Amino acid sequence: MKKLENFVFWILQSKFRKAMIIILTIIAFFASLLMFPTKAVKARMLPGKSATTYSVYVDTPTGSSIEQTKKVTTCVTDILRKEKEILNMSTFYGQGIPLDYAGLVKGSAMKRTENVAEISVNLTPIHEREEPSFLMTSRLRPIIKSSCESIIPGTTIRMIEQPAGPPTLASIVLEVHGDNLKHIRKLSVEVANILANTKNLVDVDVMADDIYKKYKLIPDIEKIARSGLGIEQVNNILYLAFEGMAIATKNSANSSVQIPIFLVLSDKTKELSNQSADAIRSKLTSLNLMNKKGMMVPLTEVVNIVQVDSNPSIMHKDLERTINVTAETDNVSQVYPLLDAREKMMEYFKKDYNVETAPFSTYMFDLILTDKKTGEKFLLRWDGEMKVTLDTFRDLGAAFIAALVLIFFLLVIYYKSFALSGIILGGSFLSLIGVIVGHWVADQVTVNTFFLTATSLIGFIALMGISSRNSLLLIDFAMGLINEEGMEKKRAIAHASATRATPIFLTAIAIILGSALLASDPIFGGLGVALISGTVAAVFVSLLFVPVLMDNASALVKGKEEQ
Amino acid sequence: MGQNRNEPYVVKDIAGKLGQGFLRNPLTAVLGIVILALGWIALTTMPREEDPQIAISGGGIIVAMPGATPLEVENIISKPLEKKLREIQGIQHVYSISQNNVGIVNVMYYIGENREDSNLKLYDKVMQNMDEMPKGVMQPLIKPFDIDIDVPILTFAFYQTPDSKLSLVQFNEKLRDLRYKINGIPNVAKTTLYGDHKEQFNVEVDMGKLSAYHLSMGQIMQAIKQLAVNVPEVKGKTKDKKIVMFGVSNAINGIEDIKRTMVANYMGSPIYLRDVAKVSNGIDKQNFQNVDFIFRANNDKSQPFSKTIPQVTLAVSKLAGTNAVFVAKDVLKMVEEHKEEFKKLGIEYTETRNYGERANHAVDELMHHLIITILIIAIMLVFALGWRESLIVTFSVPAILAITLFIAYMTGQTINRITLFAFLLSLGLLVDAAIIVIENIHRHLHSEGADKREMGEILIEATDEVGAPTNIATLAIIMTMVPMAFVGGMMGSFMKPIPYNVPVALFASLVVAYIFTPYLSLKLLKKPKANEHYDMENNPYGICEPCLNDEDKDEDKNNESNKKGEK
Repeated sequence: MKKLENFVFWILQSKFRKAMIIILTIIAFFASLLMFPTKAVKARMLPGKSATTYSVYVDTPTGSSIEQTKKVTTCVTDILRKEKEILNMSTFYGQGIPLDYAGLVKGSAMKRTENVAEISVNLTPIHEREEPSFLMTSRLRPIIKSSCESIIPGTTIRMIEQPAGPPTLASIVLEVHGDNLKHIRKLSVEVANILANTKNLVDVDVMADDIYKKYKLIPDIEKIARSGLGIEQVNNILYLAFEGMAIATKNSANSSVQIPIFLVLSDKTKELSNQSADAIRSKLTSLNLMNKKGMMVPLTEVVNIVQVDSNPSIMHKDLERTINVTAETDNVSQVYPLLDAREKMMEYFKKDYNVETAPFSTYMFDLILTDKKTGEKFLLRWDGEMKVTLDTFRDLGAAFIAALVLIFFLLVIYYKSFALSGIILGGSFLSLIGVIVGHWVADQVTVNTFFLTATSLIGFIALMGISSRNSLLLIDFAMGLINEEGMEKKRAIAHASATRATPIFLTAIAIILGSALLASDPIFGGLGVALISGTVAAVFVSLLFVPVLMDNASALVKGKEEQ
Repeated sequence: MGQNRNEPYVVKDIAGKLGQGFLRNPLTAVLGIVILALGWIALTTMPREEDPQIAISGGGIIVAMPGATPLEVENIISKPLEKKLREIQGIQHVYSISQNNVGIVNVMYYIGENREDSNLKLYDKVMQNMDEMPKGVMQPLIKPFDIDIDVPILTFAFYQTPDSKLSLVQFNEKLRDLRYKINGIPNVAKTTLYGDHKEQFNVEVDMGKLSAYHLSMGQIMQAIKQLAVNVPEVKGKTKDKKIVMFGVSNAINGIEDIKRTMVANYMGSPIYLRDVAKVSNGIDKQNFQNVDFIFRANNDKSQPFSKTIPQVTLAVSKLAGTNAVFVAKDVLKMVEEHKEEFKKLGIEYTETRNYGERANHAVDELMHHLIITILIIAIMLVFALGWRESLIVTFSVPAILAITLFIAYMTGQTINRITLFAFLLSLGLLVDAAIIVIENIHRHLHSEGADKREMGEILIEATDEVGAPTNIATLAIIMTMVPMAFVGGMMGSFMKPIPYNVPVALFASLVVAYIFTPYLSLKLLKKPKANEHYDMENNPYGICEPCLNDEDKDEDKNNESNKKGEK
């Protein structure tokens, strides 16, 4: 302890050495900040979490039949059958799996059509399995997509993992806003292509119905009226024949439900030979309608068959027409692919549109496109996990500033000195060096990318309190020595650093040991690493940097000016 | 420090007052036991879940308008409805989908909005504007999102073995019976069957025969409808005014009746339904929402995969605020009671989701981590301060956690991963108060003149002395945590247990340090003999005394002489 005291005293004695300490600290601070732009440390809201389950969403093009969807899911399950760590799989046709946190916001519960299916996959327990679920999906994704998506062209297969934190629609959601329906459709497809060609982005999906060919039976009003039929009757009979209807029910004492009597054409006879209008016409000729007079009228007599395009659904968000394009990140932070894709988009749309960027806000990545020819405006808005991340980081930043202000006031009340309070705050802010470097080290030693996450920020905020307490006790002790024992200022500071070193080390070790188990957790790893490395930095800052600043502060000596 | 040690110590801080009040009070021990007991009760009965509840409120309004195209639906339904809903306070986003025949408008409230209020506001707004409903539109359906009820905590996959003698209808009927029983278990909210099929009489008409007999689908429909009618019985009275009940029974009593339905006359001979259609007693064939299952026997990964077989998934969800672990246990017990009966019938099942177990597992694992961490810190303290002192600090940790846990229980929180992380996070912080107090007690006990003074007084003085700086330091940490409670959005709600529990734990750590540390010190620590005290001048903390060897002391002298020289 004496050695430390002498070392601190040695530093305090020379202006040059004091300046060196301050300069070195500032260099370390900015060097650690530089780790963000150089991508040595990457930021993300929450990292992936190994789970015992994941799901596969299969979407065949709008208008596909359940049999076609089944073909694709069978292909998927056949690939999954080769996996040793899968215990069971349930395939839900035409509906979502029983709702889970991921499905909650991904519209899983709304699925009702024949062109969707979800597969729920259960894995062996986490501790008995080497490969985390997020690496497994990352490995299987290309295999499944390349072999199964081609069965029905236009199919998208998405591998959905359980979110580590709160669920979002997708990692990356790009909303294309605009009034012109056809134009935003075109834009969304172009945007999807760009996203699909961006590195590390997978499962790109345009959330709009596909346009497919369908046939419209246009009733000939004149003929219908003349043959004594009604349009409603024509509709009902068509529906009854091809979709079927429960026309009556029978109550039963043995069954918990009423037994309906379901009337429909038999599968074999309602089968069409192909997808042409002629096939429909020839089928409808044998379907008769009975008019009021009891005469039979063939259906084809009263309707014309026309081929039309299907009408895709129109989506609105906050009263504006929107098409969402979603993408997932393949086990990386969404920030970097997003910036890449945005860069490419600005380049791509430059030819036909005036591209403007949005002002600074949590929507700051938005692009505003104005068509050079027509003057129509379109908005490309980034939503999804990115928006949540920015909002969270903004809020945490505000919480952090609020914490700073609160501590500052508390200290000013306690010490009645702005300088001393400033020293304590400045000192505690420097633990950021440790937090960033700690993440870089953690990234180097772990196999996966170790991200700076929201929990790291929480750790940093907590650190502010811890390291300000170190400085606080140090200053308290030094003030006691100077004002009560009458010790010389530099010697008193050095003595205080040396004697407070033990409890500072002791509490630091307690925090490091306490957080050691946190560091191994996927979500709270950031918090653990931030606490451990930040505490180490805080110890150095409190014992070397803070004494130097203290020496320059006159408020340390009560009622007296510096020597 | 420059006090006269023979005068009685005057208590200055709340720390000393608390210490003094409880030092010789027999109730202190009782209080300690009560705190630990309350903590234990909270730990065992508090609802456990994996992730904290996030109050997501929102809802959907579904308006059907048969025959309308998406553009029509957009203009007639979506736009006016969106405009009206935008008037509700607390709504963050309004989404709508205008499809053929139907418009769906979904609203999302800001995270953290009260769910009941939000649902009510939504319902209210739609009902207020019913008079503006366009013509030809069906009654709007208002469906609030209810995560607790909508996310099942348990799912089972039921399937029939190849040798099962049950028909598909009977199999489904068995599951519906089971589902009904599970619904009776307390705190079970919603049960759902996925991939289930209902019994149905299927009349599949052959189109070829239809045209051959010159019939229309309409005629067949009419013929069946006329027979299958349920009517109430009528009352008749006899001469002596007694009541006789009689009624027309549903003409269809079974599949044979349907087959024998006369559809029309063709060339003088009657045509029955069986002549033009295949009539069968089967399942609802129009329902394409099937579920398939592929599994390994006994969930053993060395077993091969089964064939793809049809299954029915039974999903069970719990009521909000109830313990997922307990509900899951009760349901599992009920299902296991039926295991034997089902096996005889050729029905087997696999548990495909158990959030109760997962929550329990996550909580237990973290409790395990918590205990390991406490032990590691205790061992560290044995080396730094001595085993008696370490024991005192180690006791204070469960007491602090017990207080925090109980307060969390009282305020309606649940034990989840984030709560436990809040504990882990605060663990490094909350032993500090106890360490600071015990260290000061240690220092005072070993200081000069301690042997002449009364034990209790030394303890109070030592506690009181560090009171003010410890209060300020702890307050500083609490203040860093408090603003986090105001972080909004999903992440803010998700992390809420941290700003809620860490300040409570820190505050509890102060109280425990001031009450129990002096009390336990009185019971466990002894004053050292007179000649054992430390040198207050050179080594006031009494730590690492052997390190202060002669060499150091020599250096010390040299330094001091240097200093003099400089002056």
